[in-house]
Amino acid sequence: MNPVLPEEAVQVADAARRAFNDLGGVELARHSELDPQQREKIVGVLGQLGLDALDPRSDPISLAAAAASCAEAGRVALPYPLAASLVRDSEGRPTAAIPESLARVDHADLFSEWRVGTLDGSAGFVASDATGPLHTRLGPFVGTLSDLRPAAVSATDILCQQLLVSWTVLGALENAVNLATFHVNSRIQFGKPIATFQAVQFQLADAAVTVAGLRELAGFTLWRYSSVGEAARADVFALRLHALESARAVFRTCQQLHGAAGVCDEYDISVLTRMMQPALRLPVGIEQTAALLADAVVMDGFAGLFPLGGRA
Amino acid sequence: MDFDLGDGAAELRLRLRGLIQENFGPNFLGAFTNNPNDLDATNSFCRLLASKGLLTLAWPKEFGGGGGSLWDQTVVREEMWAHHEPRGAQYMGLNWVGPALMAYGSDAQKAFHLPLIAAGDVIWCQGFSEPEAGSDLASLRTRAEPVGGAQGDQGWIINGQKIWTSYAGMAQWCIIAARVGGGERHEGITMFLVPMDSPGIEVRPIRSMLGPHHLNEVFFNDVLAAPDSVLGEIGGGWSVIKTALAHERVGIARYARCERLLSLIGAELSPHWSDLPSTLHVAWVRALVQVRVARLLAYRTVHAQERGEVPDVAASAARIAVTQCDQSVAEVLFSALDHRSLEAGSDAPLRGAVEDHWRYAQAATVASGTIEVQRMIVAKALLRGESV
Ligand SMILES: Cc1cc2nc3c(=O)[nH]c(=O)nc-3n(C[C@H](O)[C@H](O)[C@H](O)COP(=O)(O)OP(=O)(O)OC[C@H]3O[C@@H](n4cnc5c(N)ncnc54)[C@H](O)[C@@H]3O)c2cc1C
Repeated sequence: MNPVLPEEAVQVADAARRAFNDLGGVELARHSELDPQQREKIVGVLGQLGLDALDPRSDPISLAAAAASCAEAGRVALPYPLAASLVRDSEGRPTAAIPESLARVDHADLFSEWRVGTLDGSAGFVASDATGPLHTRLGPFVGTLSDLRPAAVSATDILCQQLLVSWTVLGALENAVNLATFHVNSRIQFGKPIATFQAVQFQLADAAVTVAGLRELAGFTLWRYSSVGEAARADVFALRLHALESARAVFRTCQQLHGAAGVCDEYDISVLTRMMQPALRLPVGIEQTAALLADAVVMDGFAGLFPLGGRA
Repeated sequence: MDFDLGDGAAELRLRLRGLIQENFGPNFLGAFTNNPNDLDATNSFCRLLASKGLLTLAWPKEFGGGGGSLWDQTVVREEMWAHHEPRGAQYMGLNWVGPALMAYGSDAQKAFHLPLIAAGDVIWCQGFSEPEAGSDLASLRTRAEPVGGAQGDQGWIINGQKIWTSYAGMAQWCIIAARVGGGERHEGITMFLVPMDSPGIEVRPIRSMLGPHHLNEVFFNDVLAAPDSVLGEIGGGWSVIKTALAHERVGIARYARCERLLSLIGAELSPHWSDLPSTLHVAWVRALVQVRVARLLAYRTVHAQERGEVPDVAASAARIAVTQCDQSVAEVLFSALDHRSLEAGSDAPLRGAVEDHWRYAQAATVASGTIEVQRMIVAKALLRGESV
């Protein structure tokens, strides 16, 4: 038993963190919202980091490095579909899960062709002709691929992208807790830092414990996916469900601890909360994820200490 | 026991719905948009309500109001909020600047300001919060120095900064809290009524998750306020603020919009309701229950007011339930729309009302006093032996 990420993966992620900070951190997301061209800066940086050559499907260490890099992307709400781009096919097309009703992905316009599929594995396409983006405050870069050609899309690859998206959410939530911690230490009300109020401490502690739990589950799920591949479907859905539920609670608390600043875009917490919404709603949100997980557990079971589900 | 608000209330509700439907297109989501027509429409609507005696229905007859019951007021609050507040930014003036003027204003102040508010001709903003004074409002630092003697016989010079000031960019008047003399905390705080076009006032919009033109910073640089601009006593501002906050606390019937949106989403999704995950059906009915409870807690506060009580604690309890309900309903609505929740504008599901609601709901537990502060009010009352 060893729950620690391999050292090589930590090093890749450390380099990614420095590089993403050099790009401006959350500021890059802010700028990109006004000028979407700014996102192009990211491509060169990913090349320098070697992330354009990293294949998370090749071995457990590469998978861990990809996951930890996605967490770094989430930390700054990097305006780029890193998880999808890491799971490339032989033609270099990024892979993403899409809703059943339409081929909607975040940053659709950044690639001319995508490989997309539904989470239940019922449909797969090579897709192009991005329309949009929505330009909305909760999905500024979300676009729709309008030209779909049916194609076989590996279910394992779709799961891998979903696994990496959950790691992206994890990074965003870790940063949300950091931002809230910093804020409550520096914000003075009633003559002292608000961090001295137990009501604040309890909220912060609950948020931090939630995120710590998500990190462990994210690590466990990496291991499951490396070990059993497509049979880790229930595990990947479980991670996604927990990531979405954690995000709901943790973003809420961290915004709340900022007071009115929590909805103000000058503060990173507001931008982070907005920019992570596509990851939380695409391809499906909490209720649909829970339904998929319920089906997967009935079919495949759920790894634990006792028999859980599964058609024995 | 009888939970029916009565025939009068039901008629009033229908009348208001009719007026809203006649005067606003289906895309209306409030005054805080990039379309100036939305603000214009709300101002015209206020004048229309005024002409029908509905704008100040709740005000006492002696101040030109309709002398309506507290339940009439409740119906107005519910219908307005449910339909994205078609009175726009004016509700602040109606709901508490007016009542605060009635309670504390001089005859001249009442004679000047109340008719303007009652006619639907003026937008007020509220300058309480400062960068260093949020929950701890009593630490505010904006100062007012008297000119021509301690009573400000020749006026007052105001210096300081306000923040999170809703509608400041649209407002003609501001009610501002400033410190006079050397008093600490609550002492010395004084309320001033200041025209927003006074030289030395600068408004800077704040980019936020809410609509544009909502939150602002307001800077006061040597602003000269008139000698008769003090509302209430010099140094007596804290009791004016308490009156104001008490009115604000019961002010927003957020549960009404929650219920309307849950109803609309039910209708929108009904053709394929049975295809939706059963967990969503459950979440929807749970939300209905939560909305009902929030409404009943709000009604309990109104009932206590009707009996002549000052239901501070009940109001805080209601606010806790109402603001939490706002946020959980926002999530249920988002789950129902799934990825389409990311869309905004008139082509979005429910013409963007769900997306708009989610963004505003994030601030519900902060605006006009955080939920933590409300919890402290409730807890302190319990510890004093009072019931909630
Ligand atoms: C949409 C919106 C509209 C607004 N409109 C106006 C307006 O028109 N005019 C105006 O004057 N103001 C307005 N405000 C400001 C509002 O009144 C303040 O945001 C609010 O009072 C909280 O202050 P703050 O934001 O500085 O948060 P802070 O007071 O800094 O609080 C930060 C966090 O610390 C917590 N906290 C603080 N003290 C304690 C304590 N003792 N114990 C436990 N927890 C504590 C808070 O609950 C919060 O979670 C508006 C705010 C919003 C969000």
